This record gives sequence, structure tokens and C-alpha cells, in this order.
Amino acid sequence: MASAELRLIRRRIRSVKSTMKITRAMELIAASRIVKAQQRVAAAQPYTDKMNEVIRNVAAASGSASHALLDARDVGTAGILAVTSDRGLAGAYNSAILRMAEARLIEYRVAGVDTRVYAIGRKAQAYFQYRGYQIEQAFLGVTDTPGYGDARAVANVVMNDYAEGTVDSIEVFTTRYVSALTQTPMQWPLLPIEPPETAKDSESATAPSGYTFEPNAEVILGRLLPRYVEAMAFGILLDASASEHAARRRAMKAATENADELVRILSRQANQARQAEITTEISEIVGGAEALTNG
Amino acid sequence: MAKSFHLDVVSPESIVWSGDAEMLVTRTTEGEIGILADHEPTMAALATGSTVIHPAEGDRVTIALHGGFLQIFQNEVTLLTDRAEIADGDVEQARELAQAFAEAEDAGEIEA
Repeated sequence: MASAELRLIRRRIRSVKSTMKITRAMELIAASRIVKAQQRVAAAQPYTDKMNEVIRNVAAASGSASHALLDARDVGTAGILAVTSDRGLAGAYNSAILRMAEARLIEYRVAGVDTRVYAIGRKAQAYFQYRGYQIEQAFLGVTDTPGYGDARAVANVVMNDYAEGTVDSIEVFTTRYVSALTQTPMQWPLLPIEPPETAKDSESATAPSGYTFEPNAEVILGRLLPRYVEAMAFGILLDASASEHAARRRAMKAATENADELVRILSRQANQARQAEITTEISEIVGGAEALTNG
Repeated sequence: MAKSFHLDVVSPESIVWSGDAEMLVTRTTEGEIGILADHEPTMAALATGSTVIHPAEGDRVTIALHGGFLQIFQNEVTLLTDRAEIADGDVEQARELAQAFAEAEDAGEIEA
């Protein structure tokens, strides 16, 4: 019966429309979050810049100062830190990172290097757990709006393990926020620290040797480097957070547009079905009337 | 008018104070230090406590800060703090606030 078909299509339209309401709401929420996340990235920039400057100056002034966090050693155990989101519906945001991180893990396994996995975000935790990797530590609930305290917690865990010698390097897999349209997954060495390049161009003048240290260069460096790692971790988390919201906004925008298109197609089908129903009814009436007059 | 220098007070999440100042009094791990313009290049670790800025213009500013570094280079002073906040009120209040930061950190609950 034609009316059954019509009813089915109408039900489907209703369902698509209610999904569309959800995806549109998520799109709008993500859009407003991007702005906030971007502001936080911008607000953290001065600290990072100054930190780089100070590290450069200390390194230049104190000559070849050494510190445990600076010394690269042979990698027997490699640490992998994957930064993902807690929730999905963000397009390829998480899968891109996880694929990259897993490829690296496999590379290490082939090379006979032990690995330790650190996960930020529920998605990374679930992914690696499901594939049988042991997760040393998972940080959950931090990627939505990361605070400096969260970054510090992450930095402390990896620095501790590095200092104890349980890992010989830490690589971060995260997403860099380039613009609202472009976010690139990337790999980033966190430990050992690669000091920011000593500026060769004379533009940013390096400190003269006559720097006075209080109490002394060693102590300053020892306090400075952990802060540097924290600042890097903070920058990574903020960037990842901005990327996550941007990815989610894009995914939800596409979903909303799809739903809109689907509703258009379905309404056309519904109209056709309704028209067919009317035509059938008319021909039935006409047929019936004819039968009566002829009889 | 006394000679001034450029001062930035930054924390990981924001610029707390930025501008020209005539004098800065802060606490390093070695003790209290007062800084005027044309100070020699210095790098020091900051302690928990209050910092008073005498800006080139306007009233003096009191900041509660906890940990970080002080860099003086070419008449540019940077306070790279772990945590800092402008305290309305006197030095005593700033000191208490800074102490609260330190305790919060020890308790492991540093809030954003």
C-alpha cells in the first residue's frame, strides 16, 4: 500500500531532522570553543617565547652545561606519548594521530626496541588497550580545556620515568593547529630536550658572558629545564585542544550539510509517494463511478 | 624622573604585567632584590613571595608570585613565573596569596 511507504519516508525525515539538530548544536559549540582555545594558545605564547630566550641565554652563558634532561643516550626503551581527545565525533582527528603513533611503535618493535605508551585522552587509551599495548599512564579529561596543572602532571610523569631510566626518549604524537582549516598530525621529540637553537643570526642577541647567576648556572639550569618541558607540554596540550575543536566543528558541519541534503531527497520521495497515492485514489473513484453508471 | 626599564611579568597562561618601570623589588632564592634601570645582566631563581613594581607612570603594583626566573638583560627585565597574580592591597596580602599558591602546588592541585 502506498500510504505505508509514505509513512516510512516521513518517519525517516523526522529522524534525520532530529540528528541534524544535534550535529548543528555540536558544530556551534565546537565553533565557540575554538575561539577560546585559540585565545589560550595566544596567551601562552609570551611565556614560551621568553622561556626559549632564557634557555638560550643560559646555555650560551654557562658554556657546555650538562643536565640529565639534555643528555641523549642510546635508546633501549622508547616512550610514546599520544595526544588524542576524550570523545569522538571529530572526524579523522584521533585516527590520524593513532595511526601515526602505532606505525612508530611497530617500527620500534621491528628494530627490537622496547616501548612504553603514555596516553592522553580516552581515545588513545581505548585504542592501545584494545590492541594489547600496555599503557603506562593515561591522562583523561584534560584535552577539553587543558590547564597548566594538567601539563605539569604529564611532564612530571615522563620526566620522572626519564630520570629513573625507565625510558630513554619521549616522542609526542600530537596535532598542530595551523589554522581553522588545517591541523596537521605531527611527531615531536620531548625528551631528551633539544635546546632551542642558539640564535646564529645576530637579531636576537645572545647574552654576554658577563651574566651574573644567582645562585649559579647549574642550579638555574636544573630549575629551568623542567619548567621548559612543562611549558612544551602545555603548548602541546593547548594546540591539541584547539585542533580537536576545529576538527569536530568541521566534522559536524559536514554532517549537518549531509543531513540537510538527505532531508531534501527524502521530501522529494515523500511528495512523489503522496502524489502516487492521490492518483491511485482518483482512478479508484473514477473506476468505481464508471462501474456504477455502466451497471 | 628616574630612568626606567622595560618589565614583563609572564606566567604560563598569560602576561600578568607589562610596561616601563622605575624600580622592581622581588624575592629570589637568595633573598630580596631591588632592581633599577641599567642593572647588570642577571639570571636568578625566584622564590615565593611578593613583588612590588614602581611603574614609570601610575601607582605601584603589588604582585603575588610563586617560583620562576628573573632575567635582566640590556635593560629588559623579565619575570618568568610559575604562577603570578596582581594582588589588590598591600604587600602582606600578596605574600599570603603567594603562600597559598605554594601550598596549592604542594597539595598537587594547581588550578588553571
